[in-house]
Amino acid sequence: MTDILDDFDENELSLLETFDHVLSRGLVISGQITISVAGVDLIYLGLNVLLSSVETIKEILLSREEAHAEISAIGSAANQLQKPE
Amino acid sequence: MSLYAYCLGDDIKLEMIGSSGVAEAPVYLIDTRGLAAVVSDFDGAMVPVNRGAVLSHERVVASILAATTPLPFRFGTLVSQEKLESYVESNFEKLLLQLNRVRGSVEMSVKIIWRPEKKDDEGAERSRVVSAETGPGSRFLMAKRRELEESESLKEHGEEIASWLASIVECCVRESVVQVRPGGSLALSAAHLVERHRLEEYRHRVSAGLAERIALRFLTSGPWPPYSFCDLSG
Repeated sequence: MTDILDDFDENELSLLETFDHVLSRGLVISGQITISVAGVDLIYLGLNVLLSSVETIKEILLSREEAHAEISAIGSAANQLQKPE
Repeated sequence: MSLYAYCLGDDIKLEMIGSSGVAEAPVYLIDTRGLAAVVSDFDGAMVPVNRGAVLSHERVVASILAATTPLPFRFGTLVSQEKLESYVESNFEKLLLQLNRVRGSVEMSVKIIWRPEKKDDEGAERSRVVSAETGPGSRFLMAKRRELEESESLKEHGEEIASWLASIVECCVRESVVQVRPGGSLALSAAHLVERHRLEEYRHRVSAGLAERIALRFLTSGPWPPYSFCDLSG
């Protein structure tokens, strides 16, 4: 039986771990983060609104296919966000 | 023009910075009451999440981590100099407390992956037999009950794994942030704050754990800046 970790080489896992750490944790100056994934703006309005987080990475770890679906979901969610004036 | 903020600390020196920043911008320091924020200029309203930008962020913070333990900002922090200075001023005491909390330590990460096993075939067969003899309402309730039992069992198993992991590293970990996630393949995600001089012992103990629990898969990484230990809300 294969394991999901077998689907990734060491470099990919290292990159996923980096994404996991830098995207979802660390000091936040409230309202000062605006990032984009795949060309779609993700507006971070404060500490409580985090669209890309460890949950995203968890999905990536589950499978690549599910990760693609997750990014699509993030894109849809981001499109529904109202951009700041 | 905004500032992209990487990390801050009370003993960061310019010569510790070993890499250019996001979008290849030069990295420099902004000092506020002795707390130095590591920043670079950023031309734009947002930061793209791509391999290059994320790795640039991480390289800058990692170069500081090689010399001292900073408080890292979350990826994508864009701020004006005025706001950054105001942030440091207004959180000065909390930031010092956080720096003292992580001083001399690094973050190590352990993720544990499992394959939750389904209930035994006998149980499933029993359910099918009973299902054939009962109405749809009873079948629904039985399915729900089975679902709840499985969920409870996974939760207990996840907590048992968390206790086990805590017991093998407790002697060399200053603090832990652990999330038990019994619902999926990722059973547990743990961040450990480990003093630098205990890193070798920590690694040895985790390696020994790998050999103990062969049914689990471990994804270990580090040392990281203390991303999971930068909570100013408390």
